[in-house]
Amino acid sequence: MKGNRRAVLWVLAALVCLCACSADGTSSTRHAVALVAKSTETEFWLSVFAGARAAATEYNLDLSIMGPETEEDYETQNRMVSEAAQTGAEAIVFSAIDYENNATAIDDAARSGVKIVAIDSSVDSQAVSTYIGTDNYAAGQMAAQAALDRVDGPLRVGIVNYDISSANGQERERGALDVFEQSGRSQVTAVINTLAQADYARRDTAALLKEHPQINVLLAFNEPTSVGAAQAVEELGLSEDVFLVGFDSNVSTVDGLQEGSVDALVVQNPYAMGYLGVESAYKLLSGQGGDLKPTVDTSTQVVDRENLFTMDSQKALFAFEQHMD
Amino acid sequence: MRERNPRTGPRTTTILVSMVVGVVAIILCCCIVLFLDRYRSAMVQSARTSTAQAVSQVSSTVGDYLWDMDQAMELVEQSMWEEAQVRDELLSAFLKFRPDVVAVTSYSRQGELLDCWSPDREPKEEILQNLSFDLEKAQSSQSAYMTAPHVETIFEGYYPWVVTMTAPLAQDGEAAWVSLDLSFSSISSYINNVSIGQRGYCFLMDKEGNIVYHPQQQLLYAGLKSENTSALAALEDGDYADDTVIYCITSVAGSDWRIVGVSYVDELVNRNVHEMIRLSFLLAGILLAAALLTSWLLSRMLGRPLRGLASAMESFETDADHFTYRPVSGAREVRELSASFGHMVLRIQQLMTTVREEEINLRKTELKALQAQINPHFLYNTLDSIAWMCEQGRNADAVKMVHALARLFRISISRGHELIPIAKEIEHAESYLQIQKYRYKNQFTYSFDVEAECLDYYCNKITLQPIIENAINHGLDLLVEEGSIEVRVCQDGEDILFFVRDNGVGMTPEQIESIMQHGPKDRTGIGIKNVNDRLEIYFGKQYGLHITSEPDVGTCVEIRMPKIREGDYEGK
Repeated sequence: MKGNRRAVLWVLAALVCLCACSADGTSSTRHAVALVAKSTETEFWLSVFAGARAAATEYNLDLSIMGPETEEDYETQNRMVSEAAQTGAEAIVFSAIDYENNATAIDDAARSGVKIVAIDSSVDSQAVSTYIGTDNYAAGQMAAQAALDRVDGPLRVGIVNYDISSANGQERERGALDVFEQSGRSQVTAVINTLAQADYARRDTAALLKEHPQINVLLAFNEPTSVGAAQAVEELGLSEDVFLVGFDSNVSTVDGLQEGSVDALVVQNPYAMGYLGVESAYKLLSGQGGDLKPTVDTSTQVVDRENLFTMDSQKALFAFEQHMD
Repeated sequence: MRERNPRTGPRTTTILVSMVVGVVAIILCCCIVLFLDRYRSAMVQSARTSTAQAVSQVSSTVGDYLWDMDQAMELVEQSMWEEAQVRDELLSAFLKFRPDVVAVTSYSRQGELLDCWSPDREPKEEILQNLSFDLEKAQSSQSAYMTAPHVETIFEGYYPWVVTMTAPLAQDGEAAWVSLDLSFSSISSYINNVSIGQRGYCFLMDKEGNIVYHPQQQLLYAGLKSENTSALAALEDGDYADDTVIYCITSVAGSDWRIVGVSYVDELVNRNVHEMIRLSFLLAGILLAAALLTSWLLSRMLGRPLRGLASAMESFETDADHFTYRPVSGAREVRELSASFGHMVLRIQQLMTTVREEEINLRKTELKALQAQINPHFLYNTLDSIAWMCEQGRNADAVKMVHALARLFRISISRGHELIPIAKEIEHAESYLQIQKYRYKNQFTYSFDVEAECLDYYCNKITLQPIIENAINHGLDLLVEEGSIEVRVCQDGEDILFFVRDNGVGMTPEQIESIMQHGPKDRTGIGIKNVNDRLEIYFGKQYGLHITSEPDVGTCVEIRMPKIREGDYEGK
């Protein structure tokens, strides 16, 4: 009978609804996120990675971390970006070695649908959804101001910077130079660009100090150059004569700070960069990208011998989690 | 005709269905709300309980660890009594099997670092600041105490986070205090492994609210996360739930450390509750669908057949004659009802046929009886007239009268046939008029105008005579001048029309009404009503008489009947 057939259809429809209702809401795949760093060696980057891993664990992400051996090798970085995009990374957390030369690789990856988050050091690309890192100009100013506050009389400044194509280093240098210029009692004697490895930095700094013995303030703008500069100052026995402002936390610069070769450190927050970078990537992938601000300034502070062991400095300088790798 | 029931307003079945569904929906909603409320409070309770359980477990583990450390401290204190060499051996063995002890240090009464034992490490020559030992604090406390977490600062290039346990030494030796710097490796393994739900965790704080160990300590240090420890420190042990988080605080026995368990209402309670809400609504949906289906089936089984039955009854009511009954299917009750209705229809139709047949028979008998009793006055008067003519020697007139009378009777009887040719009916009317004209001494004239085509059709006998009789008796009798009667027969499409027109006194509408309803008062003759009734019974309501009359002008009676040929209606 026709009516019976209709009744059967009704029951079937109800069953289909039931199945549909019980089937949904079960599957959620892990998003794949790649972190392409400038280096995998320095304590700064290890701390970034620790933060990134913490966020990946918290948001259940499949995180892969990679970086070139030297902080000048933007070509390897470009290769890593395109490989990550090809192997299925949905978002790349990126720190550019070269503000301009990394842009094409990032644009290409973004064109294939990958979300881009810049940390520590940005890149010249419209595809960057958010930049998380230090306000580098302000950090440079802080470094210069730290020297001005603690050194009396005229300042003869030597600057040990790293790769000239890095946006970060140039911003910091600009900030420092501006502050020195405004002070009216400073003269920037020499600026050198060395490789971001302690050995090279040590050699070049020693050469700089020998060439310009009048230098009484030395600024080094990242972790390896700071380590190298500290070694050079110590080797030359100039701990008392040269006021060294370094960047970032490394056991040897912290040792140097206690012993006198280093006089102040501008400490960034690499853990926060890693954590927030991966967190932002997660937000972009899970459709909460609208909440993101274009720039997130992670905290920066100056540590000198006086405040070295305050709780805040301890927290900023020393990683709680021991990363052995 | 009877007033029909108004068919406005919703059908009963529709109301029934919506009522059932509505009641079911309301009951379901109430049940779900009640149930979910109960379920939620039970879930909150169970979340609190599970948090409290996890926290008390951690608390006892950490308590054990601290007790263990107290023991170790005693061992270290005792070792301070020993000779330097024995002491070094003892402590290096101790450090080997307690890998979480970063360093053992001893301090003089002035707070100077006397000695340090640490696996593979020596303290720096010049220590800028030793965070492990604070002379003021040591002097102010009588027994062993724990510091807040800090960085170990006595080594070069090695800055682990530690807590320091410091105990005074009782005897008057060189060393007044001894300290153990403990890394977090043991504590972290106790606390990191605790999971309450998916995101819940425990952390360790001291009674001032300083965090000793947190599974996400680095996040706290990097300023990415914060715990409201100052508020938590003010709370007694126990569990506290707000809208999003459940806190459970337990003190660790024998120390001023407290374990705080944090679990999320969202995942422990809300997720389950949401799941349950979904399930409940799914169930409610299914139940509602089932109720709908049931009521739909009910309406199908009862409502629809009943409606079918109702419409069948309605059409039966409109046209009982041509109604053919089709049985309605459905529930047993409906089938029974339908069967009864079927029987009733048959029975009514039978009865109607019987009634109609009986009525026709009655009319026939009545007619025959009336035909048999031709008005005796008419007969006597006619016979008197004939006798008078004979006496006067008007034999020819007398013969005409007798012939007319004979023809009248012959046609009246017609061998019992009801239908006769129109020609015969005209002859009959003419004979009657002839006789009456003699009787009324030529007071009126009459004329016939009959279409020749009509003559062969049949009509009911004695149709014209009662009308003519009425015209003479009521129209012409009282008339002073000469009257006239005009009989006309013509065709009108498929019908035949008879007109009997007189120029008599005419009738008022009331008189017409009375004639059509009751017939003549003297109860003689057939009467106009009888003619009308017969035509209606024979041919239907659309046939019969129609009287138009105007006082002092005359009356016209129009008789309409269908064209009938011989044998058409003999069966009736």
